Amino acid sequence: MRRRQFLSQTLLGGALAPHLGASDVCRCMSPGWQANVTAEDPLANVASGLKITNLKVFGVSLSLQSDRPYVFVKLETNQGVIGWGEATLEGKAGAVLACVEDFREFLIGYDPMPVEHIWQSMYVHSFYRAGPVIGSAISGIDQALWDIRGKVLGMPVYELLGGPLDTRGVRGYYHAQAETREELLKLRETAVRDGVSCFKAGLPQYYEWIERRAKIKRALESMQLLREGLGPDIDIAVDFHAKTSPSVASILVKEVEPLNLLFIEEPCPPENVMAMARISRRSTTPIATGERLIASYGVRELVEMGAVDILQTDINHVGGITGLWKVASLAGISDVSMAPHACEGPIGGVATLHVDAAIPNFLIQEVCSGAVPDEKDRIWEEWLGFPAMRMVNGWFPLPEKPGLGLELSEDSLTRFPFAGTRPMARVFHEDGSVAEW
Amino acid sequence: MGARNRHEITRVDAFPLREPISGRAYTLVRIRTKSGLTGHGECSVVSGADLEHARQVLIGRAATSYVGSVVGLPMHPAVITAMLDIIGQACAAPLYRVLGGPTRNKIRVMTSLDGSESAELEASLSSGLKAGFRAFRVRTPATGARIRGQAYVRSVRARLQALRPPAGDNVDFVLDADGRLSPGDAASLAADLEDFHLLWFDEPCPLSDLPRVRRIAETTVMPLGFGRSVNQPHTFQDLLREGILDVARPDLLRESAVDIRRIAALAETYYVAVAPHHEGGPVATATAIHLAASLPNFFIQHIPLPSSEADQSMRGELLSHPVEISSDGFAALISGPGLGIAVNERALEKYKDTES
Repeated sequence: MRRRQFLSQTLLGGALAPHLGASDVCRCMSPGWQANVTAEDPLANVASGLKITNLKVFGVSLSLQSDRPYVFVKLETNQGVIGWGEATLEGKAGAVLACVEDFREFLIGYDPMPVEHIWQSMYVHSFYRAGPVIGSAISGIDQALWDIRGKVLGMPVYELLGGPLDTRGVRGYYHAQAETREELLKLRETAVRDGVSCFKAGLPQYYEWIERRAKIKRALESMQLLREGLGPDIDIAVDFHAKTSPSVASILVKEVEPLNLLFIEEPCPPENVMAMARISRRSTTPIATGERLIASYGVRELVEMGAVDILQTDINHVGGITGLWKVASLAGISDVSMAPHACEGPIGGVATLHVDAAIPNFLIQEVCSGAVPDEKDRIWEEWLGFPAMRMVNGWFPLPEKPGLGLELSEDSLTRFPFAGTRPMARVFHEDGSVAEW
Repeated sequence: MGARNRHEITRVDAFPLREPISGRAYTLVRIRTKSGLTGHGECSVVSGADLEHARQVLIGRAATSYVGSVVGLPMHPAVITAMLDIIGQACAAPLYRVLGGPTRNKIRVMTSLDGSESAELEASLSSGLKAGFRAFRVRTPATGARIRGQAYVRSVRARLQALRPPAGDNVDFVLDADGRLSPGDAASLAADLEDFHLLWFDEPCPLSDLPRVRRIAETTVMPLGFGRSVNQPHTFQDLLREGILDVARPDLLRESAVDIRRIAALAETYYVAVAPHHEGGPVATATAIHLAASLPNFFIQHIPLPSSEADQSMRGELLSHPVEISSDGFAALISGPGLGIAVNERALEKYKDTES
């Protein structure tokens, strides 16, 4: 069926341009309508025999209010092997659902094995270079292709990538979800009991690009309290979440140097690398950033300028396993560490563990969960059959089965139908102007 | 001409003004249209030749066509404001709405502390607090010496420390060196004062040698403000590229509101805030309030608060509705069409500047 449609488009293209030879195509300024003319599989003579026969994409809302309905991608093949991936994009679920569908013609009828080639085609042939929507769609498809590859080759993805580097798995951190001294002391007890070695906390308040003394003092006190409450032996990361400007962040990261934080995350927004460099060169506090960046191209300038100590690209946005591995590779050459962001669903979470386990410059893995499992963790376990993204003694255990090492039935998702796109938080300063959160 | 020039400019006049005690001089420019609208704007001192040139450029033009109306300094900012005032009146909208605002519902303001002795500064602080201000510009002590050393740093610390008890915890300060320090002296002072958490250090030194100015920003995290010494807008690009600028302070009597919007658009891409420099009169204050209400990266507006009653009453007489400052350090938006001000023409005569 898909093949017939493909052929008919080829004929249509031919009928429209009966006089064009190869050299004419090269001179054409707008070859878009000819794309189908040249979309024969150029790797047909080296094909594996496996073909993608179907693409399915699911919007999965854990609640009606969720700003990040999971976007799961499923690829089916002519030999019954299936692959799962995750393309969740916070606040823009509808756009990424549609964008995954837009890649249908890149996939159906093609060999799923040459993942790098398909990645390049999705990225390059999109013409408009990948922003978060295209990047997330590519990420979901890429993960599903790797899942298929691993299953076909009979190895977990981390083994295909040359791992694992540590048999305990992958070191991780939970979100502190504690603010008062009492809550932090209790969290410290939980951490000691469970072997958790690191927590991340957010920075309170919203910040204008220049800030008043009282707000700067409160920010500094909140970080001091984290160290006092969690003690000297637990690593602490603080997520500024790009709420601060370079001017404000420079003050904060310099003054918290004595706290020896593991890192400060996103001390300013991501568009201006020079602005980020202004912060990092004025402090010894390690600077982490990258969760909003797409593809290895997106982090190149940060590494080149020496503006960052730790990169946090997200496997659901950066370009999947292929994209995350490339970021880690170029980062490693400059001795930049990796602490990938993960704040969406369990497929991307498990996928990122595979990359983490195989990169020598890996530092630590995030999961947007607390030290105590909640309803979300219960649902994930129900879906995948194991407690996904829950640590044992401070380490995420690695899956052992081939591919991503997870099984998911479509039926299990039907209890959580897509409830539509919901925006991320919209916050404002006391004068009503737009604030970063 | 038709619809394209419904608001043809027919008259351009300039009214030089001088505050009796402070001596602060500025000029109010008035533009009238064939359609019967009157717009006002403010600039610095204007010569007869300046006015004649502006008339040649403007008379017969559409008052709505402000982008192409280039009269040069000193009149440019006043002319652009007056044209925007006319557009606002023509469409019955406050100026901030013409400019795409509002981006906020109130405008954070600050003023200056007068005096050099601590008693004078504290008296000035007290009247500023009473007027509703919660942020103040403090000048560095004047000194003739070139290398200032520890005695100077201590004198600045003492000045700031003395102000904290009467100000309380929730008042902020900007330190202003009026461009009088060398970059090296400014850097050592800035480093020493980091723990004060000033809003920023304004015009610490001249902008004569950017690599040396950059040393201040490289050796300290004290936010730096520059603008009143910037003669060309592209200098802001230089400062941003060099990582020297934390607060862009384009001068309201040198750059028009529209030029400042352009500078703000540039600064936005570096996450740099804008706080227009303003040492002029009440029409510039109204312009500043509208401008602030249209910018996304506005932080605070300085408003001159004359210490003498004579100067204060002049400002009060010039406009029928003074800018309102609430008790929490913010000014209200101005709601009338255009600038939303009514100029008292009799006061223009009364306070005419006869010196320049």
